[in-house]
Amino acid sequence: MEVKLHDIGEGLTEAEINCFLVKPGEAVKADAPLVEVQTDKMTAEIPAPRAGIIKEFKVQPGETVSVGTTILILEEEGQAGPENEEEAISMGAAFKPQQELLHSFAAFKGKRVLASPFTRKIARENGIDIDNVIGTGPAGRVMDEDIFKCMASAQTKPVELEIAFSPEHLEKTTTDKGIIPFRGRRKVIAKKMEKSLSTIPHCTHFEEVDVTELISFRKELKSLNQNISATAFFLKALSICLNEFPVFNGELHEAKEEIHLHSEHHIGMAVDTEEGLIVPVIKHVSNKSIREIHAEMKRLTGKAIENKLTEKEIAGGTFTISNVGPLGGSFGATPIIQHPQTALVSFHKTKKMPVVADGDQIVIRSIMNISMSFDHRVADGATAVRFTNRFAELIQNPKMIVLELV
Amino acid sequence: MVVGELAHERDVIIIGGGPGGYHAAIRAAQLGRHVTLVERSLLGGICLNKGCIPSKILTQSAGKFTAFQDGEIWGLEGEAISVNLKKLNQYMKKTIEQLRAGIEALCRTNKVEILEGSASFLSEDRVGIEHGDRFEVFKFKDAIIATGGTPKKPLWLKEKSERVFDIHSFAELSETPKKLLVYGSDYIALEIGMAFQALGSEVIFILDEGKTEFDFDHSICRELKRMFKKKKINVLRNVDVMDSLLAEDHVVLTLESEGKSETITGSQLFISASIKPNTDQLCLNRIGVEQCPAGFIKVDHRSRTTQPNIFAVGDVTDGPALAVKAIKQGKTAAEAIAGIKSESDFHFIPLVAHTQPPIASVGLTEEEAIKMGHDIDIGQFPLSANGYSILTGQKDGFIKVISCKEKHVLLGIHMIGSGAIELISSGITALEMAARDEDMIFPNYPHPSVNEGLLEAVEALKNKAIHMPLSKKEERMKV
Repeated sequence: MEVKLHDIGEGLTEAEINCFLVKPGEAVKADAPLVEVQTDKMTAEIPAPRAGIIKEFKVQPGETVSVGTTILILEEEGQAGPENEEEAISMGAAFKPQQELLHSFAAFKGKRVLASPFTRKIARENGIDIDNVIGTGPAGRVMDEDIFKCMASAQTKPVELEIAFSPEHLEKTTTDKGIIPFRGRRKVIAKKMEKSLSTIPHCTHFEEVDVTELISFRKELKSLNQNISATAFFLKALSICLNEFPVFNGELHEAKEEIHLHSEHHIGMAVDTEEGLIVPVIKHVSNKSIREIHAEMKRLTGKAIENKLTEKEIAGGTFTISNVGPLGGSFGATPIIQHPQTALVSFHKTKKMPVVADGDQIVIRSIMNISMSFDHRVADGATAVRFTNRFAELIQNPKMIVLELV
Repeated sequence: MVVGELAHERDVIIIGGGPGGYHAAIRAAQLGRHVTLVERSLLGGICLNKGCIPSKILTQSAGKFTAFQDGEIWGLEGEAISVNLKKLNQYMKKTIEQLRAGIEALCRTNKVEILEGSASFLSEDRVGIEHGDRFEVFKFKDAIIATGGTPKKPLWLKEKSERVFDIHSFAELSETPKKLLVYGSDYIALEIGMAFQALGSEVIFILDEGKTEFDFDHSICRELKRMFKKKKINVLRNVDVMDSLLAEDHVVLTLESEGKSETITGSQLFISASIKPNTDQLCLNRIGVEQCPAGFIKVDHRSRTTQPNIFAVGDVTDGPALAVKAIKQGKTAAEAIAGIKSESDFHFIPLVAHTQPPIASVGLTEEEAIKMGHDIDIGQFPLSANGYSILTGQKDGFIKVISCKEKHVLLGIHMIGSGAIELISSGITALEMAARDEDMIFPNYPHPSVNEGLLEAVEALKNKAIHMPLSKKEERMKV
């Protein structure tokens, strides 16, 4: 039978073949993952619709295919009897969704895994089902290397990885802490960052913003049962700044020798999730009220964390923010711009600081640092300083924002 | 009961402060979660307040009493000593309070909030806590159910009596029973029965549910039989209790065995039967948490229930009612909540009885190994051949090791004898590491010590034990 790329998500029409998790000639059980595909939004494994033997691949890793394309041919077996069981337990089959079944305690009297607890942990943390790994150690014990091999067999370029996991290599740098597969979202993030840094001459400008008034304004709103996050205010203020400095909402087309200034403010918002960074986009920020921005932010963050964002929700950004404040710690960073955008602002932790006020008095104010990275081909430092000055002005006195509301 | 509109916001709520609950609480706190622990009675749960700790204090007392009686051998002379249970109970109380204060302090330093009251679920993220006439609603992100279990009353026991007690109530005894009937076949029955025998009671075991043996490897049961004969402990096997009569100063049970009926009288009756999970007040039906037919909450290897943000650990889940299981599940649940991929695995859960001498067992018994189709080797070493056991005068018992003939992988270790509980840990580690015989034969063992008994038991797998007469080796091989 032909195994096709089926519709695996809202609005999804195509996906890139990341890697095959099986080899031609290999026997697979029903539901065993066959191939990993990748969209901007997510990584998915396509499971075997039934047990059988992999006959041939119809596409190559790295290829982008549309929904409905045949990916591989699976030859059905007559009856997968118990004598086939041994065969079916392949390296690839060890990659299965970690969906544990509820068990009765009596199950612990059954088959045990012949592996040290340390090895079992490596398997667990890398999503390998150790029950299906064939141990090459003494008495059939599963060794660390067996797990590594199993992980490597699911990679696109097994040759390279074999080098990485060769014993000589392992001796030099111990991998006691386990190995993280560099695939899926992690790989997409890496590609994007690399592209951005290698094409855009980055320049980062830092600024301090006094958020004392904003904090008290938010408190006031809270007493009226209006709980609006600070980020919603930042977004609104940024949108006002982008109106005044549209170059930062632009996109450079080097070949055409043009900088395209976007009229819409579609602001991406970096969200830290278990799977890695993802940037859902809040559309038409300039046309939205602060309350609407807040609601939209909340909705998108929730979906991001649940890994349920659609293709549409992460596409089309013209500017990006990253609020690392809640994570604490840093007083600045040099964030990487989302290619092909022009700028990105990150907000850092707010701290109470002694500030010299009018009349040379020292007062305690809440200060937040911001870092703004911009494409130095498109804009100059002075413009960036003016941009952040205006932003600081709006946030230092949030009532100023009201003046700009349409 | 009025359900308030306002819910207090909490992060992780743990229901039950027994070993499962408090281990989960501290581990979750260590991992950065904000923990609220709800306990309706006393921190430490049954284990500390009524179960493990009190019964171990009793068995310790029995052990010391026995040791005292042997004093003369050691050149220790003096007047005869006697048993005073009231004094022992004072010590028990003091020790329990001290241990409980320790748990409280640990919770405090880990910033675990402790709430007194009974919890019931209102929805998947809300729990109501009732304390006296107060009822408050708490909203949580994750919850761990660690409410434990309660010993079941056998059907034939129709009424309550001061003469009948179980693991939760034995500490109320103020004097040594004259003639104690012990109904049960597990480690609790053995501990209580053997301790009171040592303290002067006449003890008769009645194996529960018509069983013919205690719940241990058959070699251990055989050793128990031999010891019981010496101690004049009677064991009634394969009997059904038909009726009970609870009089003011005695207890009468009507037993039936192979069609014949007889009665047996005792001054007190101790019952160690199976437990039922404490789920009645939780209102589990409101949150869609599945239970198995016996009422235990279904969980996976991470202690997660069918409701993804709700976990269950310990006696409220299926499996032996052992604190070791609750502790492991509690830590696993806390780690799962914190996003760590942990799991519990109970292939090698130790089963111990703090009897005199103690019993410790881990992995497959001989019967289980054969039933699973293993071709096995058995190495058994009597402690009477261990130098240290001889010098301490604690020669009863043996160490038995079961391994796979073909692959030499160890499958199970069973011990009875002084030092068994401390010694079993080496065996557990070996089994978890998938050790083969040589892995245990190669290391150096402290001398003189009971540890060497374990070494010789593994050596006995290959008929290489030094301190074992040839005849014994051959005898063992015939089995």
